[in-house]
Amino acid sequence: MSSIIKIPFGPQHPAFKEPENFMFKVDGEYVVDVTPRIGYAHRGIEKALEARTYILDLYLIERICGICSHAHTTCYTQAVEEALKVDVPPRAKYIRTIVTELERIHNHYFWLGIVAHEIGFETLFMYTWRDREIVMDLLELLSGNRVQYAMNMIGGVRRDITPEISSEIMKGVKVLGERMKYYKKTCSNERTILTRSVNVGILKTKDAIALCAVGPTVRASNVKRDVRADDPYAAYDEIPFHVVTYDGCDVASRIATRCDEVVESVEIIRYALEHLPTGSIEVIVSRLVPPAEIVSRVEAPRGENIHYLRSNGTDKPARYKVRAPTLANLTALCKMLIGGYIADIPVVIAGIDPCFCCMDRLTFVNIKNDKTWAWEGEKLRGYGIKWYKKQ
Amino acid sequence: MNSLSKDYRDIIEKLKKEIGSENLIGYEIPRPRRIWFSVRKEKLADAITHLVGEGFVHLSTITGLEGENGLEVIYHLNRKGLEASLKVEVPVKQPVLPTITPIIPGAILYEREVHELLGVVFSGHPNLSLLILPEDWPEGVYPLRKKWTHEEIKKKLLRRT
Repeated sequence: MSSIIKIPFGPQHPAFKEPENFMFKVDGEYVVDVTPRIGYAHRGIEKALEARTYILDLYLIERICGICSHAHTTCYTQAVEEALKVDVPPRAKYIRTIVTELERIHNHYFWLGIVAHEIGFETLFMYTWRDREIVMDLLELLSGNRVQYAMNMIGGVRRDITPEISSEIMKGVKVLGERMKYYKKTCSNERTILTRSVNVGILKTKDAIALCAVGPTVRASNVKRDVRADDPYAAYDEIPFHVVTYDGCDVASRIATRCDEVVESVEIIRYALEHLPTGSIEVIVSRLVPPAEIVSRVEAPRGENIHYLRSNGTDKPARYKVRAPTLANLTALCKMLIGGYIADIPVVIAGIDPCFCCMDRLTFVNIKNDKTWAWEGEKLRGYGIKWYKKQ
Repeated sequence: MNSLSKDYRDIIEKLKKEIGSENLIGYEIPRPRRIWFSVRKEKLADAITHLVGEGFVHLSTITGLEGENGLEVIYHLNRKGLEASLKVEVPVKQPVLPTITPIIPGAILYEREVHELLGVVFSGHPNLSLLILPEDWPEGVYPLRKKWTHEEIKKKLLRRT
């Protein structure tokens, strides 16, 4: 098996979006087994964090992920603030919540476009990515950046929300909420999407729990698990909202869950803007962090994000551990793929919203004659679309 | 808060009864929704089985680190927002722990990560092959151990070529 993985090709290849490797065993059109091999993008950030001060670490944490950067910095600043025994002003907590939800809207629009692209529904892809510009403009207006907003700092947030920005956000999210309701209607009626998503990539409730899946993936398998509700942080203990769950356990449920979550996020943002407390947005904190052990959790757009901090009284952490949601969902993803069609691989992988975005390279082993061959993600996507056209 | 702390005390008492008070080295409740346990490594599997039975079915992750007294492995278990972190210490000389994958199948990748980056061996694990580090990574170099600074790792990698 190990000799098969060594292909003199990639993974750092210009044609790949993000480097990743899955080794599939197939029998005809069915996937029999799958082995993931990650680490091509492992940058040693945990080790690097130990060598830098808490202030410099904030910049590094922001760059763990391009899309859920705010979720990671929220988790980080929360951990450091808890170790420092500092209370963040309420206004800063609300602003953090608003940016978190804008980020979630951004991520889910982005994701819906990718799923549409994987199943060959380019119109929906174009529509969702057009609407995604609205939320990116709002984030730029608020923070100055389209990605990596750099809103969090230890002890608060960097920028305030003025009444003008507030009314712009209100206008923008209203459109986003309505558009998403329309896309959800499309996704639950359109035959192309239904054929490619209903009963595809099944993850039963008991498997989802046993394999410790997180985020929309686990909620689409009818498990009510959401850090915002279970372990409230920022301003979530003051804002009413519903945890969206579906019981289809398939890709169709994962689409429906995320669509509803966007509508829910719009309501959270609206409530937070209407009830925005007055006062300062930051407190001055010490650079030296007293010895402590902290576990900090947030609900990133892709699921539970957990950070662990051990401080030792200096200005650098003794150990900092980050677990992003994709790793938690990887074992569950393998379970979803086994027993499915080759043609469904792209949409099932996209279904968990992996941080490695797109599959980069696959190795297939036909178990009948031990023949092996390798495919790129783009070729597999084409194969899937063609295969379904023939049916 | 009072009923909450009673609930927490119950969890601690039950665990103490299950694994024996001499095996529960310490515990702490630093704030609502957080409990820390420190147990002897011989009783790790028993403690995890007991906590899973108590409803802590979700394993968020496993953290490994090198402390002053050797390696530490922390299991972050979760029940509806109540986070129970279970800590075990393992000697650097013989870093062996039993795998918990038969109890929580979702632990499979987390154990592999701790194995690669800190050199803790999980006996009974179905597959401890490389997951993150490159295939030609020098043996015995565990990047998250304090001994392996950036300079040391760089030196070792350069010497190899």
